[in-house]
Amino acid sequence: MRMLIQLIITGLALGGVYSLISMGYSLIYKASGLMTFAQGDILTVGAFLGLTFYRFLKLPYIVALLLTMAVAFIIGFLLEKGVIRKLLNKNVNAIYIVLATIAVSYIFQNGAQAIWSSKVEYFPSVFSTDSVAVLGVNVQPESLLCIGASMICMILLHFFMTKTRIGTSMRAAAMDSMAAESCGINVSLNTGITWGIAAGIAAIGGIFIGPMYGVYVTLGSKLGTKGFAGAVMGGYGNMYGAMVGGLLLGLLETLVAGYISSELRNLFAYIILIIFLFVKPTGIFNEQAIQDV
Amino acid sequence: MAPLLELQDFHYYYGNIHTVKGINMKVDEGEMVTIIGANGAGKTTTLQAISGLKEAKGIRGKILFNGKEIQGLSGHRIAAMGLCQVLEGRHVFSKLTVEENLMTGAYLRKDTKNIKDDLKDIYRRFPRLEERRTQLAGTLSGGEQQMLAIGRALINKPKMMLLDEPSLGLAPVIIKEVFKAIREINKEGVTVLFVEQNSKIALNTANRGYVMQVGEVAMEGYCKDLLEDEEVKKAYLGG
Ligand SMILES: Nc1ncnc2c1ncn2[C@@H]1O[C@H](COP(=O)(O)OP(=O)(O)OP(=O)(O)O)[C@@H](O)[C@H]1O
Ligand SMILES: [Mg+2]
Repeated sequence: MRMLIQLIITGLALGGVYSLISMGYSLIYKASGLMTFAQGDILTVGAFLGLTFYRFLKLPYIVALLLTMAVAFIIGFLLEKGVIRKLLNKNVNAIYIVLATIAVSYIFQNGAQAIWSSKVEYFPSVFSTDSVAVLGVNVQPESLLCIGASMICMILLHFFMTKTRIGTSMRAAAMDSMAAESCGINVSLNTGITWGIAAGIAAIGGIFIGPMYGVYVTLGSKLGTKGFAGAVMGGYGNMYGAMVGGLLLGLLETLVAGYISSELRNLFAYIILIIFLFVKPTGIFNEQAIQDV
Repeated sequence: MAPLLELQDFHYYYGNIHTVKGINMKVDEGEMVTIIGANGAGKTTTLQAISGLKEAKGIRGKILFNGKEIQGLSGHRIAAMGLCQVLEGRHVFSKLTVEENLMTGAYLRKDTKNIKDDLKDIYRRFPRLEERRTQLAGTLSGGEQQMLAIGRALINKPKMMLLDEPSLGLAPVIIKEVFKAIREINKEGVTVLFVEQNSKIALNTANRGYVMQVGEVAMEGYCKDLLEDEEVKKAYLGG
């Protein structure tokens, strides 16, 4: 029982981070009809930015978090405007744009290595204690932070997308860009903002997971493919599916690692991905990834 | 007085394909004008180019709205100038509710306080939309979607409304209802330019008309004269 509680908490913490990445994939897919490989590496950049603001510059945690989000937002926005939009305007085949995101992902990885470090950097703990008791089990307080904060991000994103003018306009533009433009929505700006938000939430995922895993150059690329798997499980392109899919994947793989063998963790995750692709490509939320007209 | 909308030697190219071949049109403030013509004549191309919804690099010639050249501006900027379009095929946001669709139409409005009243006004005009406020737009009937598309353009308080085939795929009674609404909107001071395949209802609704044939204006004039014209009768009014 203690072990189960322990595993559930660790699993949800990891799953929360997956969800933050998954939501980015889904938002981008909806807005641009594209898949990006740079999501995970933006998480790495976010983790290093957080490290810089929090550990090196000694800024308060919340300030470091907000600054990281802001910088990542700008990176995502510029990625769309400077690379993706430029290629789209040349009318190139979508596959070239996806390839460009692979290049960008390695640029982020190697850029992070050049700017920061090629070692595993430790991310100082956020709380003064290193364990708290939950239902009689001692857990790292950062994992609770991770669960809580990723939930809060999801709820905020939900309200942003459904209750605000700009959020609704973003959903409208994703559904029908010509109609959105004719309603006075600047679709190109909107798409840039979407990539910015996707980058922002991935980046704070890096800050949440940093204290548990350490910060290193390939941190995000591993998490990124898991985030992708989570997005597929939930229903690719569905924001809520991404939330649920990410959480579920984190939970399931942690349980497998705990009860069966930690060697099987990744194998299990990718087998699940393949199974979903074959059996339920529309995911838990039954999202038609091929747009219905 | 200068016309509200004017096309001067307007051309449109899809790549090398010369689709609209130098047309001149004008619409005065308060007028209701129609463009009729066969499939593929270039009506939609013209209307969407006016609204900034076609690639700017295909446009040659001038488009003037309210005295300003607007050719090549992006769609959202033209919408912000008060020139709004109800698109061919309606293009409602299928997974937004009726009310969210209307609110998206009000995206540019600065006077947010008054939007509620205008929403009521649209529901008064189209009571079926009020009954379906919370329904997803994709589940509406064709007629209801057309009303929603008109409402969505109307709530932006346009100076001028462009409509592309408002009768497309609708039953005769619904077509009547839609055109009644368009006439009312025009009476309330919105200048209207609409494209129609249904030439009979078009020429009986508008004051003036243009007949487009393979990218050119073949004929223009008052609708009452076009209705009497032998060629128009033969080609567009079924003999
Ligand atoms: N995106 C495009 N690329 C190339 N050619 C196009 C494109 N869109 C339209 N065309 C061509 O331009 C011509 C005019 O099309 P347009 O849609 O403007 O006609 P229309 O008068 O609105 O016809 P309809 O009454 O059928 O709606 C057609 O021959 C069409 O095939
Ligand atoms: Mg047409």
